Amino acid sequence: MNNILVIDMIAVILLLGIGLYTLIVSRNLLRMLIGFEIMAKGVTLAIVSAGAYNGKLALSQTLAVTAIVVEVIFIAVALAIVMLIQRKKGSLDVRKITNLKG
Amino acid sequence: MLLAYILVPLLGAAIMPILRKIWQKGTDSVPILVTVYQIIITGWIAYQGIVLNGSLNLERWILDQVLALRLDGLSLVALLAIGLVSFVTVLFSLRYPLDEDRRPGYYALILLAVTGMNGLVVATDLFSMYVFLEIVSVASFILIAYQYDEFGMEGSFKYMMLSAVATVFLLVAVALLFAITGGVSFGELAQGVKTGGPVVFISFAFIFFALALKSGMMPFHGWLPDAYTASPAPVSILLAGIVTKIAGVYTMIRLVLEVFGFNSVFMNLLLVVGAVSTVLGAFFALGQKDFKRMLAYSSISQIGYIMMGLAAGTPLGLIGAVFHFFNHAIFKSLLFLNSGAVETATGTRNFDELGGLAEKMPVTGTTSVIGLLSTAGIPPLAGFWSKLVIIVALWMAGFKFFAFIAVFASIITLAYLLLLQRNVFFGKIKQGLEGIREVSPVVYWPAIIMAAITVFSGILFPLVYDKLLNPVNSLLGLLAK
Repeated sequence: MNNILVIDMIAVILLLGIGLYTLIVSRNLLRMLIGFEIMAKGVTLAIVSAGAYNGKLALSQTLAVTAIVVEVIFIAVALAIVMLIQRKKGSLDVRKITNLKG
Repeated sequence: MLLAYILVPLLGAAIMPILRKIWQKGTDSVPILVTVYQIIITGWIAYQGIVLNGSLNLERWILDQVLALRLDGLSLVALLAIGLVSFVTVLFSLRYPLDEDRRPGYYALILLAVTGMNGLVVATDLFSMYVFLEIVSVASFILIAYQYDEFGMEGSFKYMMLSAVATVFLLVAVALLFAITGGVSFGELAQGVKTGGPVVFISFAFIFFALALKSGMMPFHGWLPDAYTASPAPVSILLAGIVTKIAGVYTMIRLVLEVFGFNSVFMNLLLVVGAVSTVLGAFFALGQKDFKRMLAYSSISQIGYIMMGLAAGTPLGLIGAVFHFFNHAIFKSLLFLNSGAVETATGTRNFDELGGLAEKMPVTGTTSVIGLLSTAGIPPLAGFWSKLVIIVALWMAGFKFFAFIAVFASIITLAYLLLLQRNVFFGKIKQGLEGIREVSPVVYWPAIIMAAITVFSGILFPLVYDKLLNPVNSLLGLLAK
């Protein structure tokens, strides 16, 4: 039981690290969103394994499903905005959207 | 009763698409009715509970022991602020040039943001807080980019990415706390974190980071001026006035009070971060040329005050923080209303192109003076009292150095706001602005309402302190349990 939790937590930390790295390093808007998705997957895993650890599986499943729904709504809005940027600018490069400064 | 705070705006948002088809003119009235309802019902609860009975009856609404809502002194102040700011936002939007076809959708999004904020305020578990936080954030992303312009999209995308990071960290903290305590409600969490240990420390660190990002404190402020500047004028009133304050500051106050307690490490960190935001925010504001951007940096600086008041860790500090939170909602939305009025009248926000508008726009000029004096903390306006309470609380808690910083930042605040007033409203009228006329009454009446609230809550401070703010203090009893 405890060993599984340790493995889970290592996986969670790895997913969060990969996601954050992707979010920071990538120059493409879509890749940044993918980075966020990877982080969100890590979080879902963390919630589920937390439920497995303390034995409250029902509650943890509810939380995980809700978290997934919220994440999907977030990503839908984000993709809509990325699509508008692509239409307006014709590019997905993050270095090209720097109108606001100061 | 409590569920109505969430359901009424949600229902208003839901009937918007139907109203758009059958009675397009009616769409204007729905958000006004909903926000007026919220102001009246909150005022009624405050009057009933506090003025007549001397204390606030804590309302609870519980469903299956899982979803529980609660109303106390702190949430009452927050609900009142939400109602007032969203009301003036809607009034301002009535005449704002939006695409008529998409106007109902715009109102629906504003009502959705109000739903999320109300839910956040009455929620009693960490996970519901997260869900409502996301509702507010998603509604604001769309609102910022509502005009399909490049600036809006850029501001929205920046806010979105930083908000995503904050969300993920908040959820990791929820998962960690859930693992060790076996629940997500404030009561269970407070029981569980008493044992302490590294997991509690890490999760509080994550939550602290997430909320500092959400409220735009100084090291993490990158998105805030961009999002405020890029959004349409009424949206920036809503964002600056209430959204970031509820999402970041209120959540922080609530979690510190109910779950974590005044942990000395984090309170000192909060004090330092708050002081840095206060001073640097004021200095950055000093160098701005754009009306809205200056106000955005001023917002960062004022959030620093609220956090310093909270970090003092005394009942007086908490009262100061909550009162400044309320005042900030009022005077910052007043100043953003004026920036919106100036932008609609002249078509620009740049200081170099503005000047001498006080003659042409007397109402906007006068209310803006009241707003800036309250922000800078000039007696007898409300901003003076809340700053005074925070400074006294810091001094009494032994943080004399930080009390000096708060006074110092207050002077810079006065400097940049007077600069703003001189550049925009005083002096000689600039070329090309001779034909400017005062904006329509629908736009300046909200500003008059806000200015009146600032003046009266300042003059009647003893009454406000006794009746509205002292109930907040009863929350400190939660810490003893």
